[in-house]
Amino acid sequence: MAAAVQIETVNITINDIEIAVPKGELIVEAVKRLGLEIPIFCYHPRMKPVGMCRMCIVEVGFKQPDGTVRKMPKPQAACTLPASEGMAVYTDTEMVHRDRKGVLEFLLINHPLDCPICDRGGECPLQNNTLFYGPSTSRYVELKRHAPKAFPLSKYVTLDLERCIQCGRCVRFTEEISGDSELAFRFRGANMQPSTFELRDFESKFSGNVIEICPVGALTSAKYRFRARPWDLETKPAVCTVCSNGCNVWFDYRVGKMVRINGRTNEGVNEEWTCDKGKFGHEFYNSEDRLLTPLVREGDQLVPTDWARVYSDVIRAFANGGDKVAALGGAANSNEDVFMLNRLMTGIFGTKNLDHRFERNLVTGVGEKLGVSEVQSTIASLEDAPSMLVFGTSLADELPIVFLRVRKAWFKNGAKVVVAHHAPTDADSFAEVILRYKEGTEAAVASGLLSLLVSAGKAQVPAATADAIKPFTPEHVEQLSGVPAEKLRVAAELLEGAPIITTRSMYNQASGVDALEALAGLAMVTNGKFNCYSLQANAEGATLLGTKEGMHTHQILNAAAAGELKALWLVNVDPFALYPDRELVQQALENVEFLAVQGTVASEAMHYASVVLPQCAPAEMDGTYTNVERRVQRMRPVLKPKGSTKPGWNIFSEIAVRLRPATPFFNPGEVMAEIAKENPAFEGATYDKLPAEGFVIR
Amino acid sequence: MSELTQIGSINERPRIPTRDEVELNFSDKAITELEALKTHYPELKACILPTLWIAQREYGGFLSGEAIAEVAYRLQRSYAEVEGVATFYSMYNTAHKPGKHKIELCTCLSCHLCGTYRLRDFLKEKLGIGHGETTADGLFTVEEVECLDACDRAPVIQVGDTYHGPVDEGYLSKLIDDLRANPESTVVKMADEMVKVHIRASER
Amino acid sequence: MSVNLVKGVVKPILAGFGITARRLKHKKVTVMYPEQIREQYPRTRWRHFLTRYDSGLERCIGCSLCAGACPARCIYVEAKENTDTERYSPGERYAVRYEINMIRCIFCGYCQEACPTGAIVLRKNFELADYKREDFIYTKERLLEEYPGQSDEPFKGHYATEPAPVFQG
Repeated sequence: MAAAVQIETVNITINDIEIAVPKGELIVEAVKRLGLEIPIFCYHPRMKPVGMCRMCIVEVGFKQPDGTVRKMPKPQAACTLPASEGMAVYTDTEMVHRDRKGVLEFLLINHPLDCPICDRGGECPLQNNTLFYGPSTSRYVELKRHAPKAFPLSKYVTLDLERCIQCGRCVRFTEEISGDSELAFRFRGANMQPSTFELRDFESKFSGNVIEICPVGALTSAKYRFRARPWDLETKPAVCTVCSNGCNVWFDYRVGKMVRINGRTNEGVNEEWTCDKGKFGHEFYNSEDRLLTPLVREGDQLVPTDWARVYSDVIRAFANGGDKVAALGGAANSNEDVFMLNRLMTGIFGTKNLDHRFERNLVTGVGEKLGVSEVQSTIASLEDAPSMLVFGTSLADELPIVFLRVRKAWFKNGAKVVVAHHAPTDADSFAEVILRYKEGTEAAVASGLLSLLVSAGKAQVPAATADAIKPFTPEHVEQLSGVPAEKLRVAAELLEGAPIITTRSMYNQASGVDALEALAGLAMVTNGKFNCYSLQANAEGATLLGTKEGMHTHQILNAAAAGELKALWLVNVDPFALYPDRELVQQALENVEFLAVQGTVASEAMHYASVVLPQCAPAEMDGTYTNVERRVQRMRPVLKPKGSTKPGWNIFSEIAVRLRPATPFFNPGEVMAEIAKENPAFEGATYDKLPAEGFVIR
Repeated sequence: MSELTQIGSINERPRIPTRDEVELNFSDKAITELEALKTHYPELKACILPTLWIAQREYGGFLSGEAIAEVAYRLQRSYAEVEGVATFYSMYNTAHKPGKHKIELCTCLSCHLCGTYRLRDFLKEKLGIGHGETTADGLFTVEEVECLDACDRAPVIQVGDTYHGPVDEGYLSKLIDDLRANPESTVVKMADEMVKVHIRASER
Repeated sequence: MSVNLVKGVVKPILAGFGITARRLKHKKVTVMYPEQIREQYPRTRWRHFLTRYDSGLERCIGCSLCAGACPARCIYVEAKENTDTERYSPGERYAVRYEINMIRCIFCGYCQEACPTGAIVLRKNFELADYKREDFIYTKERLLEEYPGQSDEPFKGHYATEPAPVFQG
């Protein structure tokens, strides 16, 4: 165990109670240690304090040598006041109460009283603070400031300028957290307005967060607009399954319908932020295209039927299929689903043809080939890295929450970030070095970096590798990729111990596999951490729990296209959307004898389906998901399953039982217990042990 | 002016230009000045104010969206941030394109007592424009401003970088005739003077 | 014997008739309901109405405060946005669905108290009996008054004006 870090503390008194707090801690935070609260608007614990709203004013004095307290003549803003020795803070004096009333009266001068129709009404800090600390009446009788209501700042965010109290939280969010600086205050005084450049579209990839941090109803969600009031809603914790980050969210629903998604705090994953893809990407829960009943093909049409019919059809096609049957997908399903699918295919149907990957190059995973893990850093650990290499990915698009962490590492701790990609990315704005290579020359750049480190004598590599990378001198790399040799040298200097962040989309690049190998080697020689993050909700889980033998996706699709496959099962995946070669997919789906399509929402593949198995959406079933950093997180059922949909594990287990009678699993908890028994890595993820913040597999 | 002006429906309004789409109109002289300016400050953020003066000069006295975008591009700041700075200060002309000459009337106490509003009414009669308006020929803009810090010369008016005061109708009338004859825009000249304040003679 | 008869039987009978006779000159307290309807007290709370402004626009803005205040949880409100072409209420928001479950309602009047625009009012129409459970869900169409001021008119009773419905099972 590391020795406890000595933190310098100072002794202060808060309302005459003595307490030692870390030196420099803001008073607004320090009072929380005593369970007290100071009303705030503009202060946000994750952003720099600015002291704009004056709501947090407290009386402050200093202990004099004779033991008395000499108070400052005027109250101070607690959010910008660091604790220092001998400070005496009073949060409960008559002066403070009077001044809070005054501040609120000022803030309410121009604030319209349209709380009944405001989406924030009922969960509004301004409402709450006014109720607790504010005056009961206003003395202001003049005309209020008026502006057009409900201005669409973007397709997600609506701006109601009348309600704005000019706290600057949204502006600071785009400056400090998301980094796009798309919002700023225009004009001044009473006319000050947070808005985009010339009121154009607010295009930030994290725009949804400003809705949540706005302390009034000035920025509201266009998607949630007028759909419910807070007291109409039921809220349950959930995990976002739109991408592989596994953000923790609050799932708000009303009479069985998803209404909105809000960020939920998990320091290890998303802190409290969400990306727009996740926050507004759950509309499919209410989609018209949801599959509700099992369907079976009769002639040209898919007609509704019951589960028994579908099961018997599937069993007839798949049973004893051996190598003639296969399944694709599962990366969007829960761990339990994937495990049961694997069991059904390998154990009952006797085939190992099972794959969830859809990238262009699938030879062997680089991790397996080199014997290293493809996920070595947790998201939180990126924050402390002194330097980082982001290679071949537009991080803000592919892994938005990892992007926020990388940016935070730069913004808070001054991490030096090397960004290598063939196109401009959002990470360029804070990159120390940008290596812009020509598309397709990833391998050259990665090998160039490795070669530089090896030739500088900083690292030893096997002779074969050394020979292979020898030609990649910086000058040669410049010729190949267009990256200036000088930049490459600067970048190589920074890489000591740096986590390397890349994604599985690299497997789609022609030279991606070579590049990944070089990057993995780079991580080894620099004592860095190699991370090739996956991109689907449970791709890591599917990798850990799936089988690696048998045919992979290309072979399966090729075999199907050649008519060699008897039956193919698409598990919650649309190959048209994911697979690069559209024609092959079409041929495969046309030529396979029996196609079972399992899914939540109608997809293109359904046109070729023999049977369709409707599966519940993630929030409608119990299950665990393994995110990019291999954190297993549980999502408890929030909604009831729609129609006659069933959870994936249930479908697989019911089919297995029909073929080989045994006691089936009754709930996913039992499935997870079984997973932990077979795969010790999941030991800590059983439902009785799984912590609320998730369990990271190492 | 400060009201939220609806630019159009969300589907029609222009996108924020990407860095490659920004139109660059600075003259060579302006670029030299900007390069000199950059060496004066530890970071580019601090350059925004003087660069906006350069832009105001280069764009004929008016900081349009394009001008702001160019400043943001050249200083590697976000467009919104630069626009926020430009709209904060009233001496940058961001709201509407001013005429060739901007007549600024001080309306604070001393000038008020000495008859600013009489002058305003006189201008209204003579030029047909009030506060914030520009004549049809694009020559004059009248603005009522806060204290110009020259109470000893009240009522005082500012045209470009020159103070005139005390002013009466006769003087004003003559001044307008002089300005009409003046081919140079005092608004642009003012911006140029402001740039000169920021840059040493050796750097021009 | 006869004295006892008079004292024990006839006298009490006469005394009884006496009470009846004395009562005859009092005013009757029973009313011939449903032909006659007794006047309600001013603060009687029965059937809900959604009122309109004099302009005909609905007062209800769909804010759901009534639903929040309702202790019986019997109100359901769904709101939508007014557009210039389709305007139901002044301002941005109107109730697209407004339902009250009259079986659950306890007629406490909290909804009326919570309403910021005075849209929902409880009036004196107490004849709320019905034949089917579904009919007790009062939808917006049933709650909304047909013209401004309709709900303020004195309640005359349904049966006084229309024939009693035939029982259909």
